[in-house]
Amino acid sequence: MGEFINTFIKAAFIENLLLAYFLGMCSFLAVSKSVKTAIGLGFAVIFVLGITMPINWLINEYLLSEAGVFGMDLTFLRFILFIAVIASMVQLVEMVVEKFSPSLYAALGIFLPLITVNCAILGGSLFMVSREYTLGNAVAFGLGGGVGWFLAIVALAAIREKIRYSNVPAPLRGLGMAFLLTGLMGLAFMSLMGIDPAIFLD
Amino acid sequence: MKGLLNFFHKIEPDKEKSPFLHTVFDGFFTFLFVPNHVTAKGVHVRDRMDLKRLMIFVVLAMMGCYVFGAYNIGHHHFAALGEYTQLGEGIGPKLWYGLLKILPILIVTMAVGLGIEFYYASRKGHGIEEGFIVSGMLIPLIMPPDLPLWMLGLAVVFAVILGKEAFGGTGMNILNVALLTRVFVFFAYPTYISGDEVWISGVAGVDGVTGATPLALAAKGGWEAVTQVYSASDMWWGFIPGSIGETSKPLIILGALFLIFTRVASWRIMISMVLGAAFVGMLMNGFAPEITADTAGVFKFMAVPWYYQFYMGSFLFAMAFMATDPVTASGTNKGKWIYGFLIGSIGMVIRIINPAYPEGWMLAILLLNVFAPTIDHFVVEGNMKRRAKRAEAIA
Repeated sequence: MGEFINTFIKAAFIENLLLAYFLGMCSFLAVSKSVKTAIGLGFAVIFVLGITMPINWLINEYLLSEAGVFGMDLTFLRFILFIAVIASMVQLVEMVVEKFSPSLYAALGIFLPLITVNCAILGGSLFMVSREYTLGNAVAFGLGGGVGWFLAIVALAAIREKIRYSNVPAPLRGLGMAFLLTGLMGLAFMSLMGIDPAIFLD
Repeated sequence: MKGLLNFFHKIEPDKEKSPFLHTVFDGFFTFLFVPNHVTAKGVHVRDRMDLKRLMIFVVLAMMGCYVFGAYNIGHHHFAALGEYTQLGEGIGPKLWYGLLKILPILIVTMAVGLGIEFYYASRKGHGIEEGFIVSGMLIPLIMPPDLPLWMLGLAVVFAVILGKEAFGGTGMNILNVALLTRVFVFFAYPTYISGDEVWISGVAGVDGVTGATPLALAAKGGWEAVTQVYSASDMWWGFIPGSIGETSKPLIILGALFLIFTRVASWRIMISMVLGAAFVGMLMNGFAPEITADTAGVFKFMAVPWYYQFYMGSFLFAMAFMATDPVTASGTNKGKWIYGFLIGSIGMVIRIINPAYPEGWMLAILLLNVFAPTIDHFVVEGNMKRRAKRAEAIA
Protein backbone atom coordinates (compact mmCIF):
# COMPACT_ATOMS: atom_id res chain seq x y z
CA MET A 1 0.00 0.00 0.00
CA GLY A 2 2.77 2.40 0.99
CA GLU A 3 4.42 1.85 -2.35
CA PHE A 4 1.28 2.93 -4.21
CA ILE A 5 0.88 6.03 -2.06
CA ASN A 6 4.50 6.84 -2.80
CA THR A 7 3.92 6.54 -6.56
CA PHE A 8 0.74 8.58 -6.34
CA ILE A 9 2.33 11.46 -4.41
CA LYS A 10 5.36 11.44 -6.65
CA ALA A 11 3.28 11.57 -9.82
CA ALA A 12 0.92 14.24 -8.54
CA PHE A 13 3.27 16.71 -6.88
CA ILE A 14 6.91 15.91 -7.25
CA GLU A 15 7.22 14.77 -10.86
CA ASN A 16 4.19 16.60 -12.14
CA LEU A 17 3.58 15.51 -15.75
CA LEU A 18 2.81 19.06 -16.77
CA LEU A 19 5.15 21.29 -14.84
CA ALA A 20 8.13 18.97 -14.54
CA TYR A 21 7.98 17.13 -17.88
CA PHE A 22 5.90 19.68 -19.82
CA LEU A 23 3.63 17.00 -21.25
CA GLY A 24 0.09 17.77 -22.35
CA MET A 25 0.79 21.42 -23.02
CA CYS A 26 -1.61 21.94 -25.94
CA SER A 27 -4.86 21.50 -24.05
CA PHE A 28 -3.28 23.01 -20.94
CA LEU A 29 -2.68 26.27 -22.78
CA ALA A 30 -5.84 26.24 -24.85
CA VAL A 31 -8.53 25.24 -22.33
CA SER A 32 -7.32 27.24 -19.34
CA LYS A 33 -9.30 30.41 -19.93
CA SER A 34 -11.95 29.68 -17.32
CA VAL A 35 -11.84 27.61 -14.16
CA LYS A 36 -15.07 25.77 -14.93
CA THR A 37 -13.92 24.26 -18.21
CA ALA A 38 -10.49 23.61 -16.73
CA ILE A 39 -12.07 21.54 -13.97
CA GLY A 40 -14.09 19.58 -16.55
CA LEU A 41 -11.07 18.83 -18.67
CA GLY A 42 -9.03 18.04 -15.59
CA PHE A 43 -11.50 15.39 -14.48
CA ALA A 44 -11.61 13.97 -18.00
CA VAL A 45 -7.82 13.63 -17.97
CA ILE A 46 -7.82 12.01 -14.50
CA PHE A 47 -10.41 9.52 -15.72
CA VAL A 48 -8.69 8.71 -19.00
CA LEU A 49 -5.27 8.37 -17.36
CA GLY A 50 -6.65 6.26 -14.53
CA ILE A 51 -8.44 3.88 -16.92
CA THR A 52 -5.94 3.59 -19.75
CA MET A 53 -2.95 2.89 -17.53
CA PRO A 54 -4.11 -0.51 -16.20
CA ILE A 55 -5.56 -1.51 -19.59
CA ASN A 56 -2.32 -0.64 -21.32
CA TRP A 57 -0.42 -2.42 -18.61
CA LEU A 58 -2.42 -5.61 -19.22
CA ILE A 59 -1.97 -5.30 -23.00
CA ASN A 60 1.73 -4.72 -22.63
CA GLU A 61 2.16 -7.61 -20.25
CA TYR A 62 -0.13 -10.27 -21.73
CA LEU A 63 -0.29 -9.50 -25.44
CA LEU A 64 2.89 -7.74 -26.42
CA SER A 65 5.64 -9.24 -24.32
CA GLU A 66 7.33 -12.51 -25.10
CA ALA A 67 5.75 -14.10 -22.07
CA GLY A 68 2.28 -13.16 -23.39
CA VAL A 69 -0.29 -15.27 -25.20
CA PHE A 70 1.32 -14.93 -28.63
CA GLY A 71 4.69 -16.01 -27.34
CA MET A 72 6.65 -13.48 -29.35
CA ASP A 73 8.00 -9.98 -28.95
CA LEU A 74 5.31 -7.65 -30.30
CA THR A 75 6.49 -4.51 -28.56
CA PHE A 76 6.72 -2.68 -31.91
CA LEU A 77 2.90 -2.57 -31.77
CA ARG A 78 3.02 -0.73 -28.46
CA PHE A 79 2.39 2.79 -29.72
CA ILE A 80 -0.49 1.91 -32.00
CA LEU A 81 -2.26 -0.23 -29.40
CA PHE A 82 -1.79 2.30 -26.62
CA ILE A 83 -3.20 5.04 -28.80
CA ALA A 84 -6.14 2.85 -29.79
CA VAL A 85 -6.98 2.20 -26.13
CA ILE A 86 -6.66 5.89 -25.30
CA ALA A 87 -8.82 6.90 -28.26
CA SER A 88 -11.60 4.51 -27.30
CA MET A 89 -11.55 5.70 -23.68
CA VAL A 90 -11.72 9.30 -24.84
CA GLN A 91 -14.72 8.40 -26.99
CA LEU A 92 -16.37 7.00 -23.89
CA VAL A 93 -15.68 10.17 -21.92
CA GLU A 94 -16.96 12.25 -24.78
CA MET A 95 -20.26 10.41 -24.91
CA VAL A 96 -20.71 10.68 -21.16
CA VAL A 97 -19.92 14.41 -21.11
CA GLU A 98 -22.23 15.08 -24.05
CA LYS A 99 -25.05 13.23 -22.35
CA PHE A 100 -24.75 14.73 -18.89
CA SER A 101 -23.24 18.19 -19.39
CA PRO A 102 -23.92 19.65 -22.82
CA SER A 103 -22.62 23.06 -21.70
CA LEU A 104 -19.25 21.62 -20.70
CA TYR A 105 -19.24 19.65 -23.96
CA ALA A 106 -19.70 22.86 -25.92
CA ALA A 107 -17.07 24.70 -23.86
CA LEU A 108 -14.43 22.01 -24.30
CA GLY A 109 -15.17 21.73 -28.02
CA ILE A 110 -12.44 20.15 -30.06
CA PHE A 111 -10.17 19.73 -27.04
CA LEU A 112 -12.16 16.87 -25.62
CA PRO A 113 -11.49 14.50 -28.56
CA LEU A 114 -7.99 15.90 -28.64
CA ILE A 115 -7.26 14.34 -25.26
CA THR A 116 -6.49 11.33 -27.45
CA VAL A 117 -3.33 12.99 -28.61
CA ASN A 118 -2.66 14.62 -25.25
CA CYS A 119 0.96 13.68 -24.77
CA ALA A 120 0.50 13.45 -20.99
CA ILE A 121 -1.63 10.35 -21.46
CA LEU A 122 0.51 8.48 -23.95
CA GLY A 123 3.54 9.74 -22.02
CA GLY A 124 2.09 8.26 -18.85
CA SER A 125 1.70 4.86 -20.48
CA LEU A 126 5.22 4.96 -21.87
CA PHE A 127 6.68 6.02 -18.51
CA MET A 128 4.85 3.06 -17.03
CA VAL A 129 6.61 0.71 -19.46
CA SER A 130 10.06 2.24 -19.14
CA ARG A 131 9.89 2.39 -15.33
CA GLU A 132 8.60 -1.21 -15.21
CA TYR A 133 5.70 -0.45 -12.88
CA THR A 134 3.53 -3.20 -11.45
CA LEU A 135 -0.22 -3.08 -12.11
CA GLY A 136 -0.96 -1.37 -8.81
CA ASN A 137 1.78 1.16 -9.38
CA ALA A 138 0.44 1.83 -12.87
CA VAL A 139 -2.99 2.69 -11.47
CA ALA A 140 -1.45 4.89 -8.79
CA PHE A 141 0.75 6.61 -11.34
CA GLY A 142 -2.20 7.20 -13.68
CA LEU A 143 -4.41 8.68 -10.98
CA GLY A 144 -1.56 10.71 -9.47
CA GLY A 145 -0.47 12.07 -12.82
CA GLY A 146 -4.07 13.01 -13.55
CA VAL A 147 -4.47 14.80 -10.21
CA GLY A 148 -1.24 16.71 -10.80
CA TRP A 149 -2.40 17.72 -14.27
CA PHE A 150 -5.77 18.75 -12.83
CA LEU A 151 -4.15 20.94 -10.14
CA ALA A 152 -1.90 22.65 -12.65
CA ILE A 153 -4.62 23.47 -15.16
CA VAL A 154 -7.03 24.73 -12.49
CA ALA A 155 -4.31 26.97 -11.01
CA LEU A 156 -3.44 28.35 -14.43
CA ALA A 157 -7.10 28.95 -15.24
CA ALA A 158 -7.66 30.83 -11.98
CA ILE A 159 -4.61 32.99 -12.64
CA ARG A 160 -5.76 33.71 -16.17
CA GLU A 161 -9.20 34.66 -14.89
CA LYS A 162 -7.51 37.04 -12.47
CA ILE A 163 -5.15 38.69 -14.95
CA ARG A 164 -7.99 39.33 -17.35
CA TYR A 165 -8.30 42.63 -15.49
CA SER A 166 -4.59 43.45 -15.64
CA ASN A 167 -3.01 45.80 -18.09
CA VAL A 168 -0.92 43.17 -19.82
CA PRO A 169 1.18 44.55 -22.71
CA ALA A 170 -0.69 43.92 -25.96
CA PRO A 171 1.79 41.49 -27.58
CA LEU A 172 1.73 39.25 -24.51
CA ARG A 173 -2.03 38.94 -24.17
CA GLY A 174 -3.46 35.44 -24.46
CA LEU A 175 -1.08 32.67 -25.34
CA GLY A 176 2.11 34.64 -24.61
CA MET A 177 1.00 35.19 -21.04
CA ALA A 178 0.04 31.53 -20.71
CA PHE A 179 3.53 30.46 -21.74
CA LEU A 180 5.12 32.90 -19.32
CA LEU A 181 2.85 31.73 -16.51
CA THR A 182 3.62 28.09 -17.22
CA GLY A 183 7.31 28.83 -16.82
CA LEU A 184 6.79 30.70 -13.57
CA MET A 185 4.52 27.96 -12.25
CA GLY A 186 7.15 25.40 -13.13
CA LEU A 187 9.60 27.43 -11.04
CA ALA A 188 7.23 27.40 -8.09
CA PHE A 189 6.56 23.68 -8.47
CA MET A 190 10.26 22.98 -8.17
CA SER A 191 9.72 23.41 -4.43
CA LEU A 192 8.64 19.81 -4.05
CA MET A 193 11.17 18.29 -6.41
CA GLY A 194 13.76 16.20 -4.65
CA ILE A 195 11.49 14.87 -1.90
CA ASP A 196 11.68 11.10 -1.75
CA PRO A 197 8.61 9.74 0.06
CA ALA A 198 10.11 6.25 -0.06
CA ILE A 199 12.47 6.85 2.88
CA PHE A 200 9.53 7.25 5.25
CA LEU A 201 7.83 4.03 4.26
CA ASP A 202 10.12 1.49 5.78
CA MET B 1 8.16 73.13 3.24
CA LYS B 2 6.95 76.05 1.16
CA GLY B 3 10.41 76.71 -0.19
CA LEU B 4 10.75 73.07 -1.14
CA LEU B 5 7.42 73.18 -2.94
CA ASN B 6 8.47 76.27 -4.89
CA PHE B 7 11.73 74.58 -5.77
CA PHE B 8 9.87 71.58 -7.12
CA HIS B 9 7.59 73.77 -9.21
CA LYS B 10 10.61 75.58 -10.62
CA ILE B 11 12.39 72.43 -11.79
CA GLU B 12 9.30 70.63 -13.11
CA PRO B 13 10.22 69.39 -16.61
CA ASP B 14 7.90 69.73 -19.56
CA LYS B 15 5.68 66.67 -19.86
CA GLU B 16 5.45 66.87 -23.65
CA LYS B 17 9.12 67.40 -24.34
CA SER B 18 10.65 64.89 -21.97
CA PRO B 19 8.17 62.34 -20.66
CA PHE B 20 10.85 60.29 -18.95
CA LEU B 21 12.16 63.20 -16.88
CA HIS B 22 8.64 64.22 -15.99
CA THR B 23 7.82 60.72 -14.79
CA VAL B 24 10.90 60.71 -12.60
CA PHE B 25 10.04 64.18 -11.28
CA ASP B 26 6.48 63.16 -10.54
CA GLY B 27 7.67 60.10 -8.67
CA PHE B 28 9.89 62.08 -6.34
CA PHE B 29 7.43 64.94 -5.97
CA THR B 30 4.61 62.72 -4.77
CA PHE B 31 7.01 61.10 -2.37
CA LEU B 32 7.23 64.33 -0.41
CA PHE B 33 3.87 65.92 -1.06
CA VAL B 34 0.34 64.61 -1.37
CA PRO B 35 -0.56 65.50 -4.96
CA ASN B 36 -3.54 67.73 -5.56
CA HIS B 37 -4.69 66.06 -8.76
CA VAL B 38 -8.43 65.64 -8.86
CA THR B 39 -9.91 62.51 -10.36
CA ALA B 40 -12.09 63.35 -13.32
CA LYS B 41 -14.16 60.27 -13.94
CA GLY B 42 -15.05 56.90 -12.52
CA VAL B 43 -15.21 55.74 -8.94
CA HIS B 44 -12.08 56.12 -6.86
CA VAL B 45 -11.07 55.44 -3.35
CA ARG B 46 -10.33 58.81 -1.79
CA ASP B 47 -7.93 58.25 1.03
CA ARG B 48 -4.70 59.88 2.14
CA MET B 49 -3.44 56.40 2.94
CA ASP B 50 -2.50 55.78 -0.68
CA LEU B 51 -0.08 53.26 -2.12
CA LYS B 52 2.92 55.42 -1.34
CA ARG B 53 2.20 55.89 2.39
CA LEU B 54 1.32 52.19 2.65
CA MET B 55 4.67 51.21 1.24
CA ILE B 56 6.58 53.62 3.47
CA PHE B 57 5.10 51.82 6.48
CA VAL B 58 6.48 48.52 5.24
CA VAL B 59 9.89 50.12 4.68
CA LEU B 60 9.79 51.55 8.22
CA ALA B 61 8.89 48.15 9.62
CA MET B 62 12.02 46.57 8.19
CA MET B 63 14.45 49.30 9.29
CA GLY B 64 15.33 47.36 12.43
CA CYS B 65 16.34 44.40 10.30
CA TYR B 66 18.61 46.64 8.24
CA VAL B 67 20.50 48.05 11.21
CA PHE B 68 20.83 44.68 12.86
CA GLY B 69 21.77 43.09 9.55
CA ALA B 70 24.65 45.52 9.13
CA TYR B 71 25.90 44.81 12.65
CA ASN B 72 25.53 41.06 12.22
CA ILE B 73 27.52 40.98 8.99
CA GLY B 74 30.33 42.91 10.65
CA HIS B 75 30.19 40.85 13.83
CA HIS B 76 30.57 37.53 12.00
CA HIS B 77 33.26 38.90 9.74
CA PHE B 78 35.44 40.14 12.60
CA ALA B 79 34.65 37.20 14.87
CA ALA B 80 35.73 34.78 12.15
CA LEU B 81 39.00 36.65 11.80
CA GLY B 82 39.51 36.55 15.55
CA GLU B 83 39.03 40.27 16.25
CA TYR B 84 36.31 41.75 18.48
CA THR B 85 34.94 38.31 19.24
CA GLN B 86 32.64 39.57 22.01
CA LEU B 87 29.26 40.96 21.03
CA GLY B 88 29.74 44.38 22.60
CA GLU B 89 33.22 45.01 21.21
CA GLY B 90 33.98 47.11 18.17
CA ILE B 91 30.44 48.09 17.39
CA GLY B 92 31.63 50.97 15.24
CA PRO B 93 33.86 48.99 12.88
CA LYS B 94 31.30 46.19 12.71
CA LEU B 95 28.50 48.51 11.70
CA TRP B 96 30.75 50.26 9.22
CA TYR B 97 31.83 46.98 7.64
CA GLY B 98 28.20 45.84 7.38
CA LEU B 99 27.16 49.16 5.89
CA LEU B 100 29.80 48.83 3.20
CA LYS B 101 28.35 45.41 2.37
CA ILE B 102 24.66 46.32 2.40
CA LEU B 103 24.88 49.65 0.64
CA PRO B 104 26.16 48.38 -2.73
CA ILE B 105 23.53 45.64 -2.73
CA LEU B 106 20.82 48.16 -1.99
CA ILE B 107 22.09 50.63 -4.58
CA VAL B 108 22.32 48.05 -7.35
CA THR B 109 18.87 46.67 -6.55
CA MET B 110 17.29 50.10 -6.51
CA ALA B 111 19.12 51.45 -9.55
CA VAL B 112 18.27 48.44 -11.71
CA GLY B 113 14.72 47.98 -10.47
CA LEU B 114 13.71 51.61 -10.39
CA GLY B 115 15.41 52.23 -13.73
CA ILE B 116 13.21 49.59 -15.33
CA GLU B 117 10.18 50.90 -13.50
CA PHE B 118 10.81 54.50 -14.61
CA TYR B 119 11.36 53.36 -18.17
CA TYR B 120 8.08 51.45 -18.32
CA ALA B 121 6.16 54.23 -16.58
CA SER B 122 7.27 56.85 -19.08
CA ARG B 123 6.68 54.46 -21.96
CA LYS B 124 3.16 53.65 -20.88
CA GLY B 125 2.53 57.27 -19.97
CA HIS B 126 1.37 56.82 -16.40
CA GLY B 127 2.89 57.88 -13.10
CA ILE B 128 5.58 55.83 -11.43
CA GLU B 129 4.16 52.94 -9.51
CA GLU B 130 6.20 52.67 -6.37
CA GLY B 131 5.70 48.95 -6.01
CA PHE B 132 9.38 48.44 -6.42
CA ILE B 133 10.30 50.49 -3.36
CA VAL B 134 9.16 47.74 -1.05
CA SER B 135 10.47 44.88 -3.20
CA GLY B 136 13.75 46.74 -3.61
CA MET B 137 14.10 47.21 0.14
CA LEU B 138 13.24 43.57 0.79
CA ILE B 139 15.64 42.10 -1.75
CA PRO B 140 18.91 43.02 0.08
CA LEU B 141 17.54 41.53 3.29
CA ILE B 142 17.12 38.08 1.74
CA MET B 143 20.53 37.93 0.06
CA PRO B 144 23.82 36.64 1.42
CA PRO B 145 26.29 39.50 2.08
CA ASP B 146 28.88 38.52 -0.53
CA LEU B 147 26.61 37.95 -3.51
CA PRO B 148 28.28 39.26 -6.70
CA LEU B 149 26.45 42.39 -7.72
CA TRP B 150 26.02 41.49 -11.38
CA MET B 151 24.08 38.38 -10.39
CA LEU B 152 21.87 40.52 -8.24
CA GLY B 153 21.31 42.96 -11.11
CA LEU B 154 20.46 40.16 -13.50
CA ALA B 155 18.01 38.62 -11.05
CA VAL B 156 16.31 41.96 -10.48
CA VAL B 157 15.95 42.46 -14.23
CA PHE B 158 14.38 39.02 -14.54
CA ALA B 159 11.97 39.50 -11.67
CA VAL B 160 10.87 43.02 -12.52
CA ILE B 161 10.36 42.49 -16.25
CA LEU B 162 9.01 38.93 -16.39
CA GLY B 163 7.47 38.84 -12.95
CA LYS B 164 5.86 42.24 -12.86
CA GLU B 165 5.94 44.48 -15.91
CA ALA B 166 4.77 41.65 -18.19
CA PHE B 167 1.67 41.39 -16.01
CA GLY B 168 0.94 45.08 -16.22
CA GLY B 169 2.97 46.55 -13.37
CA THR B 170 2.45 47.10 -9.66
CA GLY B 171 -0.50 45.33 -8.14
CA MET B 172 -0.90 42.91 -11.02
CA ASN B 173 1.93 40.47 -10.42
CA ILE B 174 1.14 36.87 -9.52
CA LEU B 175 4.43 35.97 -7.88
CA ASN B 176 6.20 37.95 -5.16
CA VAL B 177 8.88 40.02 -6.92
CA ALA B 178 11.43 39.89 -4.12
CA LEU B 179 11.16 36.12 -3.87
CA LEU B 180 11.32 35.76 -7.62
CA THR B 181 14.63 37.63 -7.53
CA ARG B 182 15.96 35.28 -4.90
CA VAL B 183 14.67 32.17 -6.60
CA PHE B 184 16.39 33.25 -9.81
CA VAL B 185 19.75 33.50 -8.05
CA PHE B 186 18.99 30.30 -6.18
CA PHE B 187 18.45 28.19 -9.29
CA ALA B 188 20.87 29.97 -11.59
CA TYR B 189 23.86 30.36 -9.23
CA PRO B 190 23.16 27.97 -6.36
CA THR B 191 26.70 27.97 -4.98
CA TYR B 192 26.52 31.69 -4.26
CA ILE B 193 23.37 31.56 -2.17
CA SER B 194 23.36 28.21 -0.41
CA GLY B 195 25.80 26.01 1.43
CA ASP B 196 28.02 26.73 4.40
CA GLU B 197 30.51 29.19 2.94
CA VAL B 198 28.46 32.11 1.74
CA TRP B 199 26.93 33.46 4.94
CA ILE B 200 29.97 35.05 6.55
CA SER B 201 31.32 37.97 4.64
CA GLY B 202 34.91 38.35 3.50
CA VAL B 203 36.40 35.17 4.94
CA ALA B 204 36.67 33.02 1.80
CA GLY B 205 39.91 31.10 2.03
CA VAL B 206 40.41 31.68 5.75
CA ASP B 207 41.14 28.32 7.35
CA GLY B 208 39.01 26.85 10.06
CA VAL B 209 36.04 29.12 9.53
CA THR B 210 32.73 27.45 8.90
CA GLY B 211 29.61 29.46 8.62
CA ALA B 212 27.07 26.69 8.62
CA THR B 213 23.62 28.00 9.43
CA PRO B 214 21.63 26.35 12.22
CA LEU B 215 19.39 24.76 9.60
CA ALA B 216 22.32 23.15 7.82
CA LEU B 217 23.52 21.74 11.14
CA ALA B 218 20.06 20.55 12.10
CA ALA B 219 19.59 18.78 8.78
CA LYS B 220 22.66 16.69 9.52
CA GLY B 221 22.55 16.13 13.23
CA GLY B 222 19.33 17.43 14.75
CA TRP B 223 19.00 19.85 17.63
CA GLU B 224 22.08 18.59 19.52
CA ALA B 225 24.32 19.46 16.58
CA VAL B 226 22.86 22.98 16.49
CA THR B 227 23.27 23.71 20.18
CA GLN B 228 26.89 22.62 20.08
CA VAL B 229 27.61 25.64 17.87
CA TYR B 230 24.91 28.20 18.62
CA SER B 231 23.00 28.75 21.82
CA ALA B 232 19.24 29.16 21.70
CA SER B 233 19.53 32.76 22.86
CA ASP B 234 21.99 33.56 20.05
CA MET B 235 19.44 32.22 17.60
CA TRP B 236 16.64 34.18 19.20
CA TRP B 237 18.53 37.49 19.21
CA GLY B 238 19.93 36.81 15.77
CA PHE B 239 23.69 36.45 16.21
CA ILE B 240 23.87 33.64 13.68
CA PRO B 241 24.99 33.55 10.06
CA GLY B 242 22.21 33.83 7.51
CA SER B 243 20.69 36.11 4.91
CA ILE B 244 21.22 39.76 5.83
CA GLY B 245 17.89 40.58 7.43
CA GLU B 246 16.42 37.27 8.48
CA THR B 247 18.27 36.56 11.71
CA SER B 248 16.96 38.86 14.43
CA LYS B 249 13.68 37.44 15.69
CA PRO B 250 12.68 40.24 18.12
CA LEU B 251 13.16 42.97 15.52
CA ILE B 252 11.16 41.03 12.94
CA ILE B 253 8.37 40.48 15.45
CA LEU B 254 8.40 44.21 16.22
CA GLY B 255 8.13 44.93 12.52
CA ALA B 256 5.31 42.43 12.16
CA LEU B 257 3.41 44.00 15.06
CA PHE B 258 3.90 47.42 13.50
CA LEU B 259 2.50 46.12 10.20
CA ILE B 260 -0.48 44.54 11.93
CA PHE B 261 -1.08 47.69 14.01
CA THR B 262 -1.06 49.91 10.90
CA ARG B 263 -3.21 47.33 9.12
CA VAL B 264 -0.79 47.03 6.24
CA ALA B 265 -0.27 43.30 6.59
CA SER B 266 -2.87 40.68 7.31
CA TRP B 267 -2.78 39.12 10.79
CA ARG B 268 -4.84 36.24 9.45
CA ILE B 269 -2.02 35.12 7.17
CA MET B 270 0.59 35.46 9.92
CA ILE B 271 -1.38 33.51 12.50
CA SER B 272 -2.46 30.77 10.15
CA MET B 273 1.11 30.43 8.91
CA VAL B 274 2.37 29.92 12.46
CA LEU B 275 -0.40 27.38 13.03
CA GLY B 276 0.47 25.52 9.83
CA ALA B 277 4.16 25.36 10.67
CA ALA B 278 3.49 24.31 14.26
CA PHE B 279 1.03 21.65 13.09
CA VAL B 280 3.49 20.05 10.68
CA GLY B 281 6.28 20.44 13.23
CA MET B 282 4.28 18.49 15.81
CA LEU B 283 3.33 15.90 13.21
CA MET B 284 7.00 15.41 12.36
CA ASN B 285 7.85 15.11 16.08
CA GLY B 286 5.15 12.49 16.43
CA PHE B 287 6.39 10.43 13.49
CA ALA B 288 10.09 10.75 14.23
CA PRO B 289 11.57 7.35 15.06
CA GLU B 290 13.83 6.57 18.02
CA ILE B 291 17.12 8.39 17.62
CA THR B 292 20.24 6.25 17.68
CA ALA B 293 23.80 7.00 16.62
CA ASP B 294 23.30 5.86 13.04
CA THR B 295 19.89 7.41 12.43
CA ALA B 296 19.76 9.31 9.14
CA GLY B 297 19.98 13.10 9.43
CA VAL B 298 16.47 13.66 8.18
CA PHE B 299 14.98 11.73 11.12
CA LYS B 300 17.08 13.72 13.57
CA PHE B 301 15.76 16.87 11.93
CA MET B 302 12.22 15.53 12.28
CA ALA B 303 12.81 15.02 15.97
CA VAL B 304 13.78 18.67 16.59
CA PRO B 305 11.09 20.00 18.96
CA TRP B 306 8.62 21.97 16.87
CA TYR B 307 8.99 25.20 18.87
CA TYR B 308 12.71 25.28 18.15
CA GLN B 309 11.95 25.23 14.43
CA PHE B 310 10.94 28.88 14.78
CA TYR B 311 14.40 29.76 16.11
CA MET B 312 16.15 28.62 12.97
CA GLY B 313 16.01 29.91 9.44
CA SER B 314 13.82 32.60 7.99
CA PHE B 315 10.35 31.56 9.11
CA LEU B 316 9.49 34.82 10.86
CA PHE B 317 10.89 37.02 8.13
CA ALA B 318 8.92 35.15 5.48
CA MET B 319 5.81 35.37 7.62
CA ALA B 320 6.06 39.08 8.36
CA PHE B 321 7.21 40.49 5.04
CA MET B 322 6.85 37.90 2.28
CA ALA B 323 3.66 35.90 2.76
CA THR B 324 1.63 38.97 3.68
CA ASP B 325 2.31 40.80 0.41
CA PRO B 326 -1.26 41.95 -0.30
CA VAL B 327 -0.84 41.67 -4.07
CA THR B 328 0.16 38.04 -4.33
CA ALA B 329 -1.67 36.66 -1.28
CA SER B 330 -5.27 35.52 -1.27
CA GLY B 331 -7.68 38.41 -1.24
CA THR B 332 -10.58 36.89 0.66
CA ASN B 333 -10.52 36.53 4.44
CA LYS B 334 -11.33 32.84 4.42
CA GLY B 335 -8.80 32.40 1.62
CA LYS B 336 -6.12 34.05 3.76
CA TRP B 337 -6.52 31.44 6.49
CA ILE B 338 -6.14 28.63 3.96
CA TYR B 339 -3.28 30.38 2.17
CA GLY B 340 -1.30 31.00 5.35
CA PHE B 341 -1.89 27.53 6.74
CA LEU B 342 -0.75 25.87 3.52
CA ILE B 343 2.40 28.03 3.36
CA GLY B 344 3.21 27.12 6.93
CA SER B 345 2.73 23.41 6.42
CA ILE B 346 4.28 23.06 2.95
CA GLY B 347 7.24 25.23 3.93
CA MET B 348 7.88 23.03 6.93
CA VAL B 349 7.64 19.89 4.79
CA ILE B 350 10.17 21.31 2.33
CA ARG B 351 12.48 22.43 5.11
CA ILE B 352 12.53 19.10 6.89
CA ILE B 353 12.09 16.34 4.35
CA ASN B 354 13.28 17.84 1.07
CA PRO B 355 17.03 17.25 0.94
CA ALA B 356 17.36 19.47 -2.14
CA TYR B 357 16.67 22.74 -0.33
CA PRO B 358 17.91 23.97 3.03
CA GLU B 359 14.93 26.20 3.71
CA GLY B 360 11.34 26.04 2.56
CA TRP B 361 9.64 29.40 2.86
CA MET B 362 10.75 31.00 -0.40
CA LEU B 363 9.47 28.10 -2.49
CA ALA B 364 6.39 27.47 -0.37
CA ILE B 365 5.29 31.08 -0.73
CA LEU B 366 5.88 31.03 -4.48
CA LEU B 367 3.91 27.78 -4.74
CA LEU B 368 0.99 29.26 -2.84
CA ASN B 369 1.23 32.49 -4.85
CA VAL B 370 0.45 30.30 -7.84
CA PHE B 371 -2.53 28.78 -6.06
CA ALA B 372 -3.84 31.95 -4.37
CA PRO B 373 -6.18 32.82 -7.28
CA THR B 374 -7.54 29.26 -7.18
CA ILE B 375 -8.23 29.53 -3.45
CA ASP B 376 -9.95 32.87 -3.97
CA HIS B 377 -11.99 31.47 -6.81
CA PHE B 378 -13.39 28.66 -4.69
CA VAL B 379 -13.99 30.88 -1.65
CA VAL B 380 -15.93 33.34 -3.79
CA GLU B 381 -17.80 30.49 -5.45
CA GLY B 382 -18.73 29.11 -2.02
CA ASN B 383 -19.98 32.52 -0.89
CA MET B 384 -22.09 32.86 -4.00
CA LYS B 385 -23.67 29.46 -3.45
CA ARG B 386 -24.42 30.20 0.20
CA ARG B 387 -25.99 33.52 -0.59
CA ALA B 388 -28.05 32.07 -3.40
CA LYS B 389 -29.38 29.49 -0.97
CA ARG B 390 -30.15 32.18 1.57
CA ALA B 391 -31.97 34.23 -1.03
CA GLU B 392 -33.96 31.15 -2.00
CA ALA B 393 -34.87 30.46 1.61
CA ILE B 394 -36.17 34.00 2.04
CA ALA B 395 -38.14 34.01 -1.19
